Order: sequence, then structure tokens, then C-alpha cells
Amino acid sequence: MSLAEVDGALSGAEVTLRGVSHAYGRGAVPVLHDLDLDVDASGFVALTGASGAGKSTLLSLIGGLEPLQSGSIVVGGFDLSSLSGDALADYRRSTVGFVFQHYGLVDVLTARENVELSLALSRMSPVARRDRAERLLDGVGLSHRIHHRPNELSGGERQRVAIARALANGPRLLLADEPTGNLDDETTVQVLGLLERIHADTGCTLLVVTHERRVAARARSIRRMREGRWVRG
Amino acid sequence: MSWRDALSMALASVSRRFGRTALTVLAVALASALLVALATMVITANSRVIRQVSKGGPITAVKVLAAEAAAGQLETDSLRPAAPRDLTEADRSRIQELPGVTSTAGVLTAEVLVIPPFAPGVPHRIFEHAVGVDVTEAPDLPISVLAGRLPTAGSLSEVAVTQGYLDRMKLDADRPGQVLGTTIMMGSPQVYRQLGGVLDYRGRWVVLRIVGVVAQDAAAGEFVVPIEQTRADRTWALGGVSDGDRFTLPTSEYSGLVVVADSLDDVHRVRASVDELGYATSAPEQLVANLRRYLHVVDIVLGGIASIALVIASLGITNALLAAVRERRREIGVLKAIGARDRDVMRWFLPEAALIGAAGGTLGTALGVAVAFVVGLVVNGYLTAQGLEGVRLVAPALVVGAGILGATALAVVAGAVPAHRAARLPAREAVGSL
Repeated sequence: MSLAEVDGALSGAEVTLRGVSHAYGRGAVPVLHDLDLDVDASGFVALTGASGAGKSTLLSLIGGLEPLQSGSIVVGGFDLSSLSGDALADYRRSTVGFVFQHYGLVDVLTARENVELSLALSRMSPVARRDRAERLLDGVGLSHRIHHRPNELSGGERQRVAIARALANGPRLLLADEPTGNLDDETTVQVLGLLERIHADTGCTLLVVTHERRVAARARSIRRMREGRWVRG
Repeated sequence: MSWRDALSMALASVSRRFGRTALTVLAVALASALLVALATMVITANSRVIRQVSKGGPITAVKVLAAEAAAGQLETDSLRPAAPRDLTEADRSRIQELPGVTSTAGVLTAEVLVIPPFAPGVPHRIFEHAVGVDVTEAPDLPISVLAGRLPTAGSLSEVAVTQGYLDRMKLDADRPGQVLGTTIMMGSPQVYRQLGGVLDYRGRWVVLRIVGVVAQDAAAGEFVVPIEQTRADRTWALGGVSDGDRFTLPTSEYSGLVVVADSLDDVHRVRASVDELGYATSAPEQLVANLRRYLHVVDIVLGGIASIALVIASLGITNALLAAVRERRREIGVLKAIGARDRDVMRWFLPEAALIGAAGGTLGTALGVAVAFVVGLVVNGYLTAQGLEGVRLVAPALVVGAGILGATALAVVAGAVPAHRAARLPAREAVGSL
């Protein structure tokens, strides 16, 4: 089953950043400096740069994981500077899908239960979410692994479970933070292929943080960062 | 996230982290066990001590003697009888009608001569008193069955003996059952005038089978019989005359009464009312009051020990859950990243705490009751060796219920801090240190 068959085509979410700055330690450690960014709804953007450049912080701000300190971020019509608490949680649940380098799976739950977890937060009925979780896992090629726990899966399989979970609530924006950072070459190719297929099939906007050139090369556009600023080339 | 989903996740968490969960459950179980065992033993011990003071009868019992009260009777727990005074059925009815009186039980004693089974080195005859009681009123009387049973109500062929009889017969007090089934002859005297005016004595003899061994404080005497037996003795004695010395005619219908007051607070009032009617009384008022004070102090001390155990268990739960929060920071962050609200995260941890508390409480309550029963067995062994009645240990439903529900509630309270801390973790924990 293709992922397009699970949800049909989705619209992406435009991402607009204006004057975004961020610092840790009560302003003592600035990490982002006055950043602007425009990603159209069908965008597939790679954010690259060395470690400590601010890529993950930027992704966290766009995903609503980190409170905005200055500037503005608008994603699919949501002005993140006006959201907090439950509203921000609702934004993350309804609009954004996250894929982490460390997979972020709950180790006491099976593959299907991990995918169901996102749907449980949306108060979907147990029967409906079980069916959807199985279809999503089928879509990422893991129909034979639905009852396995994360520690019983390979790195590539874990990442595919994480991708299925990220897609559970039909997100318009998929954020991937070093999605291949823990994978071998062959598995990296498979996961990148899967992300591309998702982008193509569902129409969601895709932002990938990576420091690997070959990963960035698969994106339609590449934005490079150094010390919290955009750099050319 | 619904509570059902949260419970499923909590079950998955506790079953997957079985080792640490088991240790935490054990800590809760030990605290609960200590609490339940202490509570069960304290409640049993309290009732046992109070009951022992009242010699097996109701703690609110006032003993009334067929005698006038000496001056200052109410100032002491003991009987201070003066001259004999008949106690009739009409007097019993008047006492029964007094405010604060629940019931009255009549006692009629008779002087008897007992011929026990022949055995070398033991008395061939015993001058004693038979204590006649209405067996149907036994629960209101200070009589405890140590072995066998009480005579059947109305029976003229059964008797229960006290340990005093066993001592006389040089029988092992640790084995009171050995006397059951043996028979004695009991004779009650009548003084009659022979032709020519000379006084002589004759007896009304009955053969009685010993059916029980008792401890009793209804009246002085080693032989407890149905009151019909001593009434027959009285009627027999009244058919004769008084010898003016050893045997006087038993004019009183009752030798005494056991009057049960509505409550401990009514005991003194009832006693004072009976005193006004002119009868000598006794009741362990001062003794019970002092005992209750001492027992209350014991309750406070044991309650303190149990509280310390509970605090330790609570800290154990809190510590275990705080460790779980620390360990699952990233999982919590991921949960928030995929849209969980603060209350969803709290719902993940609170059922886990409740599960630990319920499991620990159930296990601990069972363990505590078991420990209390083992202690009860040991105590019974000791009491029996001392020739005393054993305790009947009962775990009150309130203690069992409180053990389980209390541990669960305590666990939820103890888990609230870690759960709140987990809920307040920022979603950026999902991506680790940035």
C-alpha cells in the first residue's frame, strides 16, 4: 500500500520566518541571528551546516518545540508567536510531523502502538487508529513488524516506524532532524527514498536538517547555516 | 489521551521495567504490611485486654450482689457488701428498667458437696458452690469457654468446671479437654428435723457429666450449671429448715445479677442507680479507664511507627517515579512533540503510580494479615501454655480496605510531584540538548 492511499494527497504548509533570533542561557548564548526564510507549500528544503550552527534549534522553533523569543514564524496560517500551552500542542499534533535522529520511539510500546500513540492523542477510536496504524506501517514496508518493540528492530526499521508515526495525523509539514544520522549507507538510501516518496505522494512540505551532503543533495533547495546565520554556497 | 490509553501505557511501562517496579512495589508492600499487621494486632490486643479485664463478659457489665451496699461502695471497683438482702425477680425487673441498662442476667449459687471420679492422691469430696446461670444469657455473663462447651440450657445432667477443679484433681491445666466426658456426683443439702427434734442433713444427689471447662467471674464457685439446677437445689433446701449456723435458708431468688449497661459511659450511672436501690455492686470502672488510657498511648506510638513506614514508602514511590521521569525525559519530549498536552503526560505517570500503590497495597495487606495471624498463633501458644483463653484474630474489613485503597491513594499523591514535573518538561527534550 502506498502512503498516498492512506490519506490521499495532502496540501503542504507555507513556512515564513521573519527576523528570528534565539539564545540560550537567558540570552548568554545566542544561536540564531535575525533569520528570514520562505518555504512554499510544496517545498523540500535541506538545512545544512556544521554541528552547532543552529539547524536543530531552527527546526524546533518551526515545529513549536521551542518558544519563540523574537521575530515571527507563520506555518500554514498558524502564527506561532500567538500560540502557547494547549494551542501549541494542538498545532504540533495537527500540523507537524517530527522525525528524529534518535527515532524517539517509546521503548515499551510495539511498532503499531508507537504509531497509535499519535492517534490516541487525537482521541481517535481504538479500532480506527489500529487500522490506520497498520496501514501506515504497511505503507513504510513494515507490515511484518507491527508487533515488535523498538529494541527488536534494526535502525532503518525504527526510523521507518518513526516516519509512520510522524505521518499518523496527516501533517502538512514534515520536519526531519538528521533522519539518517544513525543509519548505514544502504539504509540511508532507503530512508531518503521513503521521505522523497512521502513528499511526492502526500504533498506535505518537507524540511530536513542534515550535515550530510548526499542527503542535502536530494532536496529541491538547500539552505546552509553557520553560527546561526544563513551563508551562501 | 484517554485514561484507558494512559492505563495501557502505564501497564506497558511497569511490565517492561519489571525489576525496578517490583522493588518499588515491595517497598510499598512492606510499609502496608507493617501498617495492616500493627492495626490488626492492636485492635485484637485492645479487645483482648479489655475482655480479659471483664473476664470474658461485656466490658459494660455491672455485678450486683444479693446484699446491701456498704458505705462508699461507688468509690471502689470492688464489691463492698454489708448484710444479705434478697434479690427477687421483681427487683431484677426494676433494675432492668433503669436508664442505660441493656440487659440483666440472673445468677443463683448453691452450696454443694461434689464427689469426683476416684483417683489416688486427689480429694474424695469437695465442698464448693454450684453457679447457676441462664445459659441462654451466657453472652452477657463473664464466662469464657476454655474447652468443650457450656451445659445445655435447662439440662439437669451437665456441668462445666473451672480450672480450680482441674487444680484440685491435679490435672494438667494445659490440657483442659482431658476432663470432658467424666462424671461427678453433686449433692445439695437440706436440713431436716428428725423425730424427736434433732436436726440432721440429707442431700439431693445428681450425676453430672462434665461438658466444658470455663473461666468465670459470675460468682464464686467451681461448677457452672444451668440455673434450673440451682433452683431445684434452692427448692430442695427450702423444704427443710435452717440449722441456724452452717446452713441458712436461701430466701433470695438470685445470688446476684450481671447488669449490662448501654455503653462504658453509662456504667457509672447504672451502678449509682443500683446503689440507690440498696444493692452492693462492682464494676472495673477505674481499671478499664486506666487501661483505655494506656492502650491509647500504645495506639499513638504504633501509629507513629506506621506513619514513618508510610512516609518511607511514599518517598520510595516518589523517588522511583522521579527516576522514571529522568530516564524518560526524551520520551516525554517526543510525546509532547507529537502533540501531547501537559495533562496527557500527567496521565501517563499517575496510573503508573496508582498501579504500583494498588499492587503494593494488595500484596502488603495480604502479607500484613498473614504476619498478624502468625503472631496470633504464637500468642495463642503462649496464652494456652499459661492456661488462658487464646485470642481470635480477625482482620477488620476496614483495615483491609484501608490498606489497599490507602496505599493506592498514597501512591497517587506521591506520584503527583514526578508526574507534574514530567508534564512541565519542555517539548525540546525530544531533540535532546541543543
